[in-house]
Amino acid sequence: MTTEQMAAYPARDQYAKPLVVALLSGCAVAVVLGAYAKLHHPSRYALDVGGFSSPLYAKAWLTTAAAVFAVVQLVTGTRIVRRGAPAWMPVVHRWSGRIAILLTVPVIIHCIYALGFGSYSARVLAHSVLGCLFYGAFVAKMLSLAQRDKMPRWVLPVLGGVVFVSLIALWATSALWLFTTKGVHS
Amino acid sequence: MSRRGPLITLGSVLVLAMIFLLANTQVAEPGKAAASVPATPTATATPTATPLHALYAGRSSGDQVTVAIAINGRKAAADLNAGQASQVSMQGSVNGGKVTLTSQDGTGLVGSVSGQDMFGTVTGFLGQNFPFSAEQAAVEAVYTGRSSGNQLTLAVETDGDKAAAYLCNGRTVEAWLQGSVNGNQVSLTGNKGASLTGSLSGLDMFGTVTANAGLSFPFSAELSPRPAGVYQARIAVNGLATRIGWAVLPDGTQVGMAVAGATRYPAPPLDLANGSFTLGGASFKATPVAGNDTVVSP
Repeated sequence: MTTEQMAAYPARDQYAKPLVVALLSGCAVAVVLGAYAKLHHPSRYALDVGGFSSPLYAKAWLTTAAAVFAVVQLVTGTRIVRRGAPAWMPVVHRWSGRIAILLTVPVIIHCIYALGFGSYSARVLAHSVLGCLFYGAFVAKMLSLAQRDKMPRWVLPVLGGVVFVSLIALWATSALWLFTTKGVHS
Repeated sequence: MSRRGPLITLGSVLVLAMIFLLANTQVAEPGKAAASVPATPTATATPTATPLHALYAGRSSGDQVTVAIAINGRKAAADLNAGQASQVSMQGSVNGGKVTLTSQDGTGLVGSVSGQDMFGTVTGFLGQNFPFSAEQAAVEAVYTGRSSGNQLTLAVETDGDKAAAYLCNGRTVEAWLQGSVNGNQVSLTGNKGASLTGSLSGLDMFGTVTANAGLSFPFSAELSPRPAGVYQARIAVNGLATRIGWAVLPDGTQVGMAVAGATRYPAPPLDLANGSFTLGGASFKATPVAGNDTVVSP
């Protein structure tokens, strides 16, 4: 292939590599998380966040807090891509996202270490798959964000949407299930 | 400016996750190590060594039959249970991580230990052959039984080397006990001189139990599938702090008492499906007691 031919499609090819790298990295993270969760022998117990009646409730409330920040993410995220968004909005978006993802870390480690990838009911299977998808999509989004000048415009909204939807679905298949079956308390 | 931000976020998530994961391996390691010690009694182990104690609980491949296997040194025992009136007890031996058991009516079980699991085959149980898998349950197990004259019903929960027990006659006598498991020896004590000493042999626990009335009885208990166990509730009834205990046997029999100060009365029936019970028109929840729970206030 000559340099003239390559130069003929600059607008198409400049996106390809960073996007493929970001998406494949996300896929790799999702697969590794799922495989580790499946292969690691569940310990049935793990480090716990204090102040709650059980590790399950600690996780449910952490996830609920993360879901609230995720809603902030959705509201600010849909605004900052438009022109004329207030200057504070990107700051709120970044920090609500950081807080949300950090809140989920103790939860996912407990899930993976103590419980593992479960498939014994539709809810558990969906939750396990969504957990892998969520972290995979998060990694893909962060990597895309780092290279956002080289990304097509639809990438960040789509990945952000996947992260948001999967987190809300994770919350619905765990915390919401716990609250509706065992009651809302700490 | 935003180039490095996402990578820093990604990095801090990774660092936090690693910290939690490593902390977990530190915390969880002792329990795992303790549980895995008896899992692989090898052929080279000297027969005179202290008996290694391990329990495995699992199911047949079709889920119909529950399998409970106990290893004590080179001896092993097992129970197969497919619901009421179809239970088989087996005896056998352990050799190099391989367990071979037979019953009097010709049912056989061969299993091999693999880490925390045991896999194998059952032959001739109700005319059927099937594979099974079981998981080491030594960390948490419950033994339930009665004293020799049926005076007392008791349930002993074990969790690793910790044990908690409840014994009761359903009307006047009850005691909470706290103690430990050391090899195959079990020793628990409670208030007002109550105590239990026993030894584990196969699926059974034999020993002597002393109720707080000062009466001693020999007892036998056996490794029991859930919902057997110790349950308790601490509630307020008409403003009185009330503690209720239940010893539940594998067939669902419940023996329990409620104690509020000097007042004692039989415990209300417990719904074992969700742990709920009704007392004085109000609904309450009882919680299963684990072997490492504190049931006797120091």
